[in-house]
Amino acid sequence: MNPVITAWTAVSPFGIERESFVDGLRAGVAAPVTDGAVHKAAVVPGFEARELLGRKGTRSMDRLTGLAVWAVGRLTAGRPVERGDRTGLVLGTMGSLQSTMDFTRPSFVEAKPYFVDPGRMPNSIMNAAAGRCAIWHGLTGPNVTLAGGRVAGLSALGYAVRLLRTGRAPSVLAGAVEEYSDARSWIESHSGVDGVLGEGCVMLRVEPAGPHPALAEVLAVRSRVARPDEVEAAKQSCLDSVLATAGVSAEDVGVVSWSGVPGYPDPLADLIGDTGAATAMFQVAEVLATGEPGEPAVVGSVDRDGAVACALLRLGSGR
Amino acid sequence: MDRRVVVTGLGVVSSIGIGRAEFAVALRAGRSGARPIGVFDTDGFEHKMGCEVAGFDPRPWIHRLDPAELGRATRFAVAASRMAVEDAGLTEEVLRARRGMICVGTTDGEAHDLDRLVETELAHGPAAMDPVRARRSAATRLSAGIAHDLALSDVEATTVATACSAGNYAIGAGFDAVRAGEAEFALCGGADAMCRKTFAGFYRLGTVAPDCCRPFDKDRKGILTGEGAGVIVLETAESALRRGAPIYAEVLGYALNCDASHPVAPDQASIKECIELALRDAGVEPHEVDLISAHGTGTPANDVTETAAIRDVYGERPPPTVSLKSMLGHTMGAASALAAIACGLGITHRFIPPTINHRETDPECAIDCVPNRAIEADLRIVQNNGLAFGGNNAVVVLGRFDAEVAR
Repeated sequence: MNPVITAWTAVSPFGIERESFVDGLRAGVAAPVTDGAVHKAAVVPGFEARELLGRKGTRSMDRLTGLAVWAVGRLTAGRPVERGDRTGLVLGTMGSLQSTMDFTRPSFVEAKPYFVDPGRMPNSIMNAAAGRCAIWHGLTGPNVTLAGGRVAGLSALGYAVRLLRTGRAPSVLAGAVEEYSDARSWIESHSGVDGVLGEGCVMLRVEPAGPHPALAEVLAVRSRVARPDEVEAAKQSCLDSVLATAGVSAEDVGVVSWSGVPGYPDPLADLIGDTGAATAMFQVAEVLATGEPGEPAVVGSVDRDGAVACALLRLGSGR
Repeated sequence: MDRRVVVTGLGVVSSIGIGRAEFAVALRAGRSGARPIGVFDTDGFEHKMGCEVAGFDPRPWIHRLDPAELGRATRFAVAASRMAVEDAGLTEEVLRARRGMICVGTTDGEAHDLDRLVETELAHGPAAMDPVRARRSAATRLSAGIAHDLALSDVEATTVATACSAGNYAIGAGFDAVRAGEAEFALCGGADAMCRKTFAGFYRLGTVAPDCCRPFDKDRKGILTGEGAGVIVLETAESALRRGAPIYAEVLGYALNCDASHPVAPDQASIKECIELALRDAGVEPHEVDLISAHGTGTPANDVTETAAIRDVYGERPPPTVSLKSMLGHTMGAASALAAIACGLGITHRFIPPTINHRETDPECAIDCVPNRAIEADLRIVQNNGLAFGGNNAVVVLGRFDAEVAR
């Protein structure tokens, strides 16, 4: 039996609720942008961690962590995690470049090079968001951070499936998060990235097929690494592999969503911007929001550093 | 049926030795990697010691990529991977014909490059940042770089960023993939490069030792930051035996859990649970364990909490419990990978690497830490602890491989 997705949520440049994301996709109008450091930025409107999550425990929480903590809360609102039930969390993120660089900055300018803010040290490490989500929501199972670039959400989904198959967790929250920050804008600009930078967090609840209605069955996840001149072949190979694994023929696939393929448009990025490490997970959310029941759907992505990943889902009727 | 998973190649970049053979000699000798830090400017810090990888030229190990386009941690990771592949008697051609996994754990990725970008920004503004450093700062490159340099395409390449237990996470991921037949081989481990950010952070927290790291000692003063990479080759026992490959150890099992209680302070009950889960996963009873390689950072808090958790599982007489960090410093994401390699070498060469710099064991850490001198020991089962900020615990259990005895 394949694991299934039983719940999802998205915090996006369309709003802090899943419904805002669905409505935004339906309307098909790009989210508003503001001026960032170098890029235009499509930020999550009205997202302030302290206002949404309360003052307690948010004083040193950065934006990226806030987005993830909020998303896990929305995902599990209907069926809260019970502390100690060993629910896992797999989060795709590169961490907050802003927090990392802000943490170092005083070291160069203060009277002593160690006059840095100790309370913010955890934010400067990539597992900060996953760790804080665990504390906030009582997630005592495997807690995993994958620094996966654009494909991170698919890596997280694959990792979650493996945790379930090996019995290492009874259910797993799999997601990906990205923030807009001026630090990210500068680093991306020097890395040759243009366009609008988006942000947000998508979280899925993945568990063995059981009493809870399946929004989608995870048929297969596969990934490869490609040089720039091998992307097309790697993409095809991943696709062939997930279809063969699931015994699905290419003609039966109803929805196909790829991102990051050189020479091809990224329609979702046109709406919510380049959501970095959350890119592929936003594609999953889009498929869950708009696909037809029963349809096999392909979600794939190519990261600029060469990872190519692809998942095959079968959309359920429980949506 | 589940396959048995064995370790057949070891790649090491460390402050006490490069490569499997040199590392084994250094472990047995109880060598210290501590030296004055040179990779970043330590002006203004009163204590300036760290376990830096000095004088290592990674270029002979990097065949296809331009080393200048790789950050320091990625260079370490690529070099250690190629060493591990060669040590396993494998070639790129053989690996290319197989489906594989590459999984590298890290705490900071290429944060040392981000430090330098901050320095540039302060001096000349953000527009003056070095694009080469900006491009290579992505932590994805630690795993993708290995695939590119070995010209492997049919691989799942991931970078696990679960801070200081990430090396054990990577070994666990490789173990699951090979055991389930999803990968025919796995290159997994951890890599980190020393950076000002993390040094300043630990320094501010008062956890950087002035001279050396003395785990479990009553006068321990904290960590020395370190760096390096440890990468292992995993494959099925069947594949290793068919190839006549050296088998350093068998991966018997592992466990992950999360404290979900405090961002930085370790949690005794949760560490105990993780150890118990790992032993159960490995099918091992506590009395069968011959050695524990502790997380053993040498901070007051870690060592008391960790040894208490160990006693909660093992009772008043736990097996010898050593800290590789006494020699290697805290190599962050590489720490549990290098420690796992040390365990594999101990199993193979029948010795326990010592906890060096030791004078008097803290009564609150009442364990036999094998002080200062390696001892001969017939190690059959070894437990390797990795603990991290965020409460990210990961424990791996390794054993001597015996084809006749399936655990």
